[in-house]
Amino acid sequence: MSSIGGRVAAVAVAVVVVAALIGFYVANLTSSPPTVSAQSTTGNTVELTLKTEAAVGPQGGNPPWVSYLVKDDQGDWVHSTNFKVPAHSLVHVTVYQFDGESGLRNPFLSQVQGTVGDTMTVDGKLMGSIPPDEASHTFAVPQLNLIVPLPGVHEDAENQCEDGPCDLSQAHRTITFTIRTGEPGRYRWQCFVPCAAGFLAGFGGPMQTIGYMDGFLEVA
Amino acid sequence: MSSEALARPLWRRLIGFNLLGGIVLGVAGFYFGWWLGHQIHAESLDFFGDTNQNDVALMLGYVFSVVGFLIGLGFARYPLARMLGKERTHTENEHGGSGRYFGLCTDHKVVGVQYLCGIGLFFFIGGLNAMLIRAELLQPSPQIFGAGNYLTLVGLHGTMMMGIMTSGVLGPFANYFVPLMIGARRMAFPRVEAITFWLLMAAGAILMTTLFFGGFPTGWTGYAPLNDQANFGFDSYIFFFALVGLSMMLLGLNMIATIITMRAPGLTWSRLPIFCWGAISTSILMVLAAPVLIAALLMVGFDRAVQTSFFLSSAGGSPYLFQNLFWFFGHPEVYVLALPGFGIILEILPVFARKPLWGYRIAVAGILGVALLSFFVWQHHLFVSGLNSSLRPFYMFSTEAISVPTGLVFLAGMATLWRAKIRYTVPMLFCLAWFFNFFIGGASGVFLSDVPSDVATHGSFFVMAHFHYTIMGGLIFAFFAAIYYWVPKMFGVMLSERLGKIHFWAMFIAFNSTFAPLFALGLMGQPRRVVTYPSHLEPLNIWVSVSAFVLGASMLVFLANVVYSLVFVRKPAPDNPWDSRSLEWQTPTPVPIENFERRPIIDTDPYDYGVPPVPLVPPGPAEAPAPG
Repeated sequence: MSSIGGRVAAVAVAVVVVAALIGFYVANLTSSPPTVSAQSTTGNTVELTLKTEAAVGPQGGNPPWVSYLVKDDQGDWVHSTNFKVPAHSLVHVTVYQFDGESGLRNPFLSQVQGTVGDTMTVDGKLMGSIPPDEASHTFAVPQLNLIVPLPGVHEDAENQCEDGPCDLSQAHRTITFTIRTGEPGRYRWQCFVPCAAGFLAGFGGPMQTIGYMDGFLEVA
Repeated sequence: MSSEALARPLWRRLIGFNLLGGIVLGVAGFYFGWWLGHQIHAESLDFFGDTNQNDVALMLGYVFSVVGFLIGLGFARYPLARMLGKERTHTENEHGGSGRYFGLCTDHKVVGVQYLCGIGLFFFIGGLNAMLIRAELLQPSPQIFGAGNYLTLVGLHGTMMMGIMTSGVLGPFANYFVPLMIGARRMAFPRVEAITFWLLMAAGAILMTTLFFGGFPTGWTGYAPLNDQANFGFDSYIFFFALVGLSMMLLGLNMIATIITMRAPGLTWSRLPIFCWGAISTSILMVLAAPVLIAALLMVGFDRAVQTSFFLSSAGGSPYLFQNLFWFFGHPEVYVLALPGFGIILEILPVFARKPLWGYRIAVAGILGVALLSFFVWQHHLFVSGLNSSLRPFYMFSTEAISVPTGLVFLAGMATLWRAKIRYTVPMLFCLAWFFNFFIGGASGVFLSDVPSDVATHGSFFVMAHFHYTIMGGLIFAFFAAIYYWVPKMFGVMLSERLGKIHFWAMFIAFNSTFAPLFALGLMGQPRRVVTYPSHLEPLNIWVSVSAFVLGASMLVFLANVVYSLVFVRKPAPDNPWDSRSLEWQTPTPVPIENFERRPIIDTDPYDYGVPPVPLVPPGPAEAPAPG
């Protein structure tokens, strides 16, 4: 290709190809689980239904990792930790907890904080805190001062779910609580129980990865 | 490629032993290994949908992909022919057009160009990762990539730069110019020379596949027990570094054999160009250090795939052992990166200072001294890892002692510049910047070799600033000096001096603006490899990120210069545009396949500038050698 026009065309094509490759690369790295909206009920009230599984299984890119899932409008479980809820509203949250007990290192986090009434229900029983040793995970949004400890399935429970997808017929705890949202914003939530099995001191891996034990609460 | 072959249509030329064939067989080999691994590892037979990590399958996939890649390139033809008793030529694809750059070629000049382009590609990918890292650090909490992908980016950047750039100078420049400098026709083992390049490219491609398997969280050091806990993506790290180690080892062996056995008559050790001293000392480090890395990675691979426990404390192994093995390779590797820079700087300085290299023997002693001492300092990386405290003083003093031979190199360089009539060409500017950067890198290194200050700064941005000053400020500035200096011989065209100077000043200023503040950030407590930081450090981080983006833009200026000069302007380079006395510049441009019409006989030193008569240098269009 000896003409100037040919050379310009070759360089232009090369630039476009490189730019496309860079775009693909960055898009791959910035890809995030989908944001799932809470299901609206009446007035300013919505329902957010979650579950936690000890190993997410083939639903996730890292099958052995502990993870949260969320129920979408169709009633399907979606592997995501990005939730969208309306501003200035009540959010009823239900968590089906299939993971076992691993214990809190900081007992302070065993107290329910930031929910309506600073309480929650565990298997239908109203509670303001749980024994720290029974905690499996927390649903915590530090910027909203919200901390909800999630008790784990007892060690001797029958029919435990080891790998996802877990079914409600298997051993689980049911936790419900209500939060009142304020101004719109994007708030980070995460689990504060070092629950990353197989990782040093329980940290790393799913504990730091969006889509597993870490995500965003989008208040819009 | 013969003229008959060139006459064939393009699609027909694409079929055969070349890069395309290598890629096809490489991909096929991967799937074969993946399938085989699942047959062996019977727990999970589902392709890509299994719930267990089948490291055996992935590792076998990588093994067979590399084997297939090399077969596709044509590396099996020669040994197979010899095994079948057939005679084959010792050369491969040395004649012909541009097709020889995309396959196995035994011409050292082609391999040098292949290295320059291949390493350049991965250097820019590594640089792109650095830009993404700094984009994430514009804010105190993760907003763009998340913590997991951030760690993968940091790991990819560090691993790629530290792995690929080990051959950053020896690959392109020593392969191309050492035979010319010593008056040889070729390298000692041309096929080995070729395979070192293609192994490196296979390694780079394998490392990038980590993105498909979840990345890896360990940074470039790959410490235990993180390396055992990490998901699938870490297997690519193992194979990347193992292949890089293999490539380094073979490259080093070939270089040592070439310099020892193939020097022209009269080229005594005391007349050997200083760049060749840099190359041979680097090669010795490569040959001695790389096997340790390969062995350590093999053990990690076994720990992950077949449940051995070399490095797992829970099963009687020792994570500390991995740190020792890694740094026994890792610290000499730092000098694998630095020593070629020494050679380049001292090679180029006399040309543009128009003076003999001051203290040639002192400079050689400095280079060899650094190489020797580099094997006795590795445990300074382990001061806070549980190292027996009674060993600390030895490693502290051995590390600090390395500044003595380094000082000899500085002395030789500085004294060469003393009262010189310096020509401030682009290569010379990069050389002068090297002194500034490497001095800061070396001086800050004293704080890290000193136990009390290392304990305070270990794992912080201070460490990161230090090694970027030594490796980027040292190696990469020398790398660019070499590019601007030798590209006229390699490609037969001159790079634009004006764009080169813009590139230099932008890079030099932005480099210092990026990395000097990292010393402060480190002292203020910002740790490495952590995506979050205290909000009061945000302004300085923004400054660093913006500077890093300018640094990245300076690389685009360089790319623009390459495209402008090599694609559009194509200003022909004279045979010896810098009036150098070194042997490689006495050849015609482009350099003939045979290098020299007849074997040269050396009867002068390469740096006798101003010492009449100067028989080797033909009168050129540029400035004549300065008297005295």
